[in-house]
Amino acid sequence: MNHRSVAAGRDLPAGWALSRAGIFLTQPINLIFLGVAGIIAFLSLYPTFFLIYGSLTDAPLGVPGHFTLNNYIRAYSDPETYRLIVTSFVFGLGASGLSVVLALTLAWITIRTNAPFSRLFELTAIVPNIMPPILIAISWVLLLNPNNGLINASLVKLFGWQQGPFNIYSLPGLIFVEGLILTPLAFLIIAAALKSMDPALEESAKTLGSSEFGVARRITLPLMRPAILAAGTLNFVRAVESFDTPAIIALPARIEVFTTKIWREALGSFPTNHNLAATYGVGILVIALLFVYLYRRFTSQIESFSTVTGKGFRPHQIDLGPWKYSASLVALLLLILMVVLPFLVLLLVALLPYYHVPTWQTWQNLTLDNFRYIWDTSRVHRAFANSLFLALVGASVCMLLAALTSYITVRTKIAARGLLEGLVFIPWAFPGTALALGLLWAYVDFPIPVYATIWIIMIAYVTRFLPYGLRAVSSTIIQIHKELEEASVACGAGFFATFRRILIPMMRPGVMAGWIILATIFMREFSATLFLYSPSAEPLGPLLYFLYLDGMRGRVAAIGLVISVISILLIAVAQRFSRWEKS
Amino acid sequence: MLRNLKAFLIFLALTLVISGPAFAQDAKLIEAAKKEGGKVVLYGSLESDTVEAVRKAFQKKTGIEAEYWRASATKVMDRALSEYRAGRPLFDVILTNDNPLQIMQKQGVFAKYESPSAKDFPKDAIDPNLGPRYRNVIIGIVYNKGVIKSADAPKSLEDLLKPQYKGKLVMPDPTQHTTTTQWVASLFKLMGKEKSDKFIRDLAGMKPILVESLLPAAERVTTGETPIAITYVKYAFIFGQKGAPMDYVRLEKMLGDGHYAPLSNKAPHPNAGKTFIDFFLGDESMNIMARMGEFVNRKGVFPPLPDADKIQFVEMLDLDTKGFAEKKKEYAKIFLR
Repeated sequence: MNHRSVAAGRDLPAGWALSRAGIFLTQPINLIFLGVAGIIAFLSLYPTFFLIYGSLTDAPLGVPGHFTLNNYIRAYSDPETYRLIVTSFVFGLGASGLSVVLALTLAWITIRTNAPFSRLFELTAIVPNIMPPILIAISWVLLLNPNNGLINASLVKLFGWQQGPFNIYSLPGLIFVEGLILTPLAFLIIAAALKSMDPALEESAKTLGSSEFGVARRITLPLMRPAILAAGTLNFVRAVESFDTPAIIALPARIEVFTTKIWREALGSFPTNHNLAATYGVGILVIALLFVYLYRRFTSQIESFSTVTGKGFRPHQIDLGPWKYSASLVALLLLILMVVLPFLVLLLVALLPYYHVPTWQTWQNLTLDNFRYIWDTSRVHRAFANSLFLALVGASVCMLLAALTSYITVRTKIAARGLLEGLVFIPWAFPGTALALGLLWAYVDFPIPVYATIWIIMIAYVTRFLPYGLRAVSSTIIQIHKELEEASVACGAGFFATFRRILIPMMRPGVMAGWIILATIFMREFSATLFLYSPSAEPLGPLLYFLYLDGMRGRVAAIGLVISVISILLIAVAQRFSRWEKS
Repeated sequence: MLRNLKAFLIFLALTLVISGPAFAQDAKLIEAAKKEGGKVVLYGSLESDTVEAVRKAFQKKTGIEAEYWRASATKVMDRALSEYRAGRPLFDVILTNDNPLQIMQKQGVFAKYESPSAKDFPKDAIDPNLGPRYRNVIIGIVYNKGVIKSADAPKSLEDLLKPQYKGKLVMPDPTQHTTTTQWVASLFKLMGKEKSDKFIRDLAGMKPILVESLLPAAERVTTGETPIAITYVKYAFIFGQKGAPMDYVRLEKMLGDGHYAPLSNKAPHPNAGKTFIDFFLGDESMNIMARMGEFVNRKGVFPPLPDADKIQFVEMLDLDTKGFAEKKKEYAKIFLR
């Protein structure tokens, strides 16, 4: 409260505050704000509270303990912690940098040039999001391990070398794989910004005699900088808190990062030290929130750069002339790296009775047993049904919340709107397994009996992945000029009519883009839900996880491939409902 | 012929006399279990395919549905204890290994249940609190005989230190993987303190590839990426069955972990839990498990792995929280140099 209003408050009668509250509540948007803020604050703060509480006590949940700072002293007085934070930073910077370069290249070629097949490339840029990251990491180990990785083995055979040239078990190997895994999200952000860019500046530069590449270098890239930084920061946080890829690649390489240390000391230790895990989680949260703050600043810059009106336009396409085929070739190469190679390896794993480097004899042993398992097992069918339900309903609920939140944070001038976005990012900033603990503690004896039902999984998904939905829809809301809403209001429509008739149709591209990302993640997510699901409501993610635990890689790969096919169908249907490509 | 028939009738009569009360008890228990809702909820780290096979047989025999939540032993304990402390335990029976069960036992999670099926287990395989140790999970040396000929394979643990195996050995990281910490710490039971201390240092000096857990170690053997692993012996059978050229080294004695199936004392379906334990420890289920490669403890039942009956099992040392922390720290200095 500023000085003036305090002074005014002193002079005004007591009823004033009440009547102001009354006025506040008569505005539908304010009521919606309160509702949305309430839901988000609850989803985000309730499990977070348990994690922070856990970090400040010396006993596990449910056991009365004492207040202590010992967990913090133990976690952060070890000099090794800081050395590992540095390694994690290098890893995070490398992986997010690579993902941004790949996404930018792919987005520029597919959206801004006349390279052939660009639509196909654009669609497949989302495809890697379908696969569980752990499967992508395993595929790359099978392709690039120094002893018998398929690529190394082929090169050795082809050129008669002593040894294959690549070694996945190295920091560059780790960065490479994580970079590929992170590319789809970077693509989503960068592609959205590229599509919404004002072509006026580029056209002026061209008029003034700049070449196509000169325009790209001097105009397009600087204009894209906020989006690039936003994608980079978001992916940096994801890389720093990722555990799957380091577990598979860093451990044999004897590289330790911050998350593998958390695993060794707290989560993977026996018995699990939940309090220490929560303490590390809070530390990562602080670092992540710092980056989320930076990300917010970058995205607010995107908003100021996107001087787009409601009038239809499409940024001009650059005619690459004879170079257009080279551009397609580059896109094709990236897609071979991101999609084709890992998928072929998975197909091979799914078709072999046990995985080995294929020889001529192998082709006789190929089997459909793993696919038959899917067909025959009712438990797998139930898991598919549960996951489809979660994907369709969960992604829709999440996008509804995201659309409302995004409208409030981008469009209104309500005081606490920035805080609302901050709240959304808190659960996302925790490492998945730490959040899983927080969710378990929060909901295990929740008064409404949601624990161990499918609804708790939906709550977990919405809690963790709301930021993705928010990102996707915010980039579209920014594009919609206020004049359209104002026109609607001027013609006598109320808030709800305007929201339904103007905003929802206009936001559809962003909503559908976000919906696609979320639905494909929900089809296979597991780390946040592992503690929450019950065997009677088992989705695909946990099913994949325990098949993997039991060494059934063939079944995991086969189910992974079926999930991909279903996800691609979902994407195709969703694309039909959206005008994403045309926006 | 007549004598045979007589002998058979006497045998039949005796069997009925002995098993009659057991049948009656079974039927009563099953009846009570059905009244509770006709299902039992299991949490455990036993492989899900094995549980699936047992579950089907159990349902066929009793008509009771078994629901199974599968995770690693540590996660099983995490979830079970969290639910228990919060007063919302959803599980009836836990199927996992000794160490986490002992911790849960100390927190008072389990009820004492003496299953009639326990009588077929050797006396030394029965824990006073947790009941029969239904299986041993044995850790040994497994190798890929497509890459390393049986004649060239190591013959003992000490053989692993030979220079020819450098770069060919994979094992779980003993500073991260709990069972492996326990395995390294228990080596003295096989070779004595002095020899084991030296062996551990020399093993670390071989710079084995370190992985997350025992399964990825075995998988690297099946793919031939690293042909020799310290891992569960049963993987030689499980992957061998799929066609992988796997074998295991016939060590004289092998270390391993015992697994139990105790009943929760706040089980939502206590009678279904008891019915399941009776069946689970019984002949049919133990045979199903053995056929799937498990070293079960029921007398005379072995997995179809060559020389399985000759393996001498030595139970690994139980470590407490402090013991684990100390050992992990000690091994970090040796293995992660």
